[in-house]
Amino acid sequence: MCSTCGCGASGHDNFEHDEHDHDVRILHTMETAFDKNNHIAFHLREEFKERGILVLNLVSSPGSGKTTLLEKTALAMSTEYKMAVIEGDQETANDAERIKNTGISAYQINTLSGCHLEAGMVQRALPSFDLDALDILFIENVGNLVCPSEYDLGEDYRVLVLSVTEGEDKPIKYPGIFISSDIFLLNKIDLVDILEFDIEKCRKYLKRINSRATTFEVSARKGTGMDEWYDWLRSAVAQKKQK
Amino acid sequence: MHEMGVVIEIVKIADAKAKEEHAHGVKRLVLQLGQLSALVPELVEACFPAAVYETLLENAELKIEVIPANGLCLKCRQVFHVVENEFECPACGSEEWDLLSGKEIIIKEIRVW
Repeated sequence: MCSTCGCGASGHDNFEHDEHDHDVRILHTMETAFDKNNHIAFHLREEFKERGILVLNLVSSPGSGKTTLLEKTALAMSTEYKMAVIEGDQETANDAERIKNTGISAYQINTLSGCHLEAGMVQRALPSFDLDALDILFIENVGNLVCPSEYDLGEDYRVLVLSVTEGEDKPIKYPGIFISSDIFLLNKIDLVDILEFDIEKCRKYLKRINSRATTFEVSARKGTGMDEWYDWLRSAVAQKKQK
Repeated sequence: MHEMGVVIEIVKIADAKAKEEHAHGVKRLVLQLGQLSALVPELVEACFPAAVYETLLENAELKIEVIPANGLCLKCRQVFHVVENEFECPACGSEEWDLLSGKEIIIKEIRVW
């Protein structure tokens, strides 16, 4: 007797069940592993749309300068807009503390061994903010160029920060996340000469991997190119408010 | 590595589907993984035995179909493999293309009995 199903057939093991007369059925589904995440992201997006909040998901390698970029942005634009930051890191509240020092609200998510933020985490962070008095929400994702690319957080734009210290060929080494981003911020351009960074080559790779994305070349620390970034933010907020 | 979390989620979905069908068990699970997805097939296979523990998939065979990263050139409409051609159309050299496939993480088929 078959030990798996109790049928009368003999001389077969569990994996030979196609051989005899069982009710084997194929369930065709086209579900993705991210349906649950995407469902939450959909509702987040609806809520952000209703309130006219611009939401940016910042992704990058660790150490690309995301937090410095946000500190500078917070300081430069706090008189114009109400901003808040959700910080994703495996450990410590260091980044949230740095942001709070600029005078805007920040919420730290520690993912522990997790390598990305998920929509559910963003949803749980929202009650910490006064959403009615918010114009821009920045989500600083965990520093990682692989896993965050799969998780929609309900953002309007995915902003990829690439620093010149990482090398020119990052876009073609990690294509998935570059393809799924809308804005490229090439940061630390004050170090181009020191590092003998081939900026032309990097521009070429960025365009080749994603010709639709808009690129800003900035030095968050020195302020180079930041005005263009701020102007873009202003236009993106205005556009969101109109929707 | 985030494969474990994703594989557990996939197994949960497949297990629930099989239960909905009043199945005795799952014989085979077919996944489609795009070349540009953030999942490595070998790591998904390595996680699978732990993820199926005490589910209807406990004795299931895992089959992974890798979906190539194909793009459509917006200039000459040629379909080409974007990774092999370093993200440039081999027919006309254009860098403007749309991704047709390669980001999938899909549960394609659950074979139940």
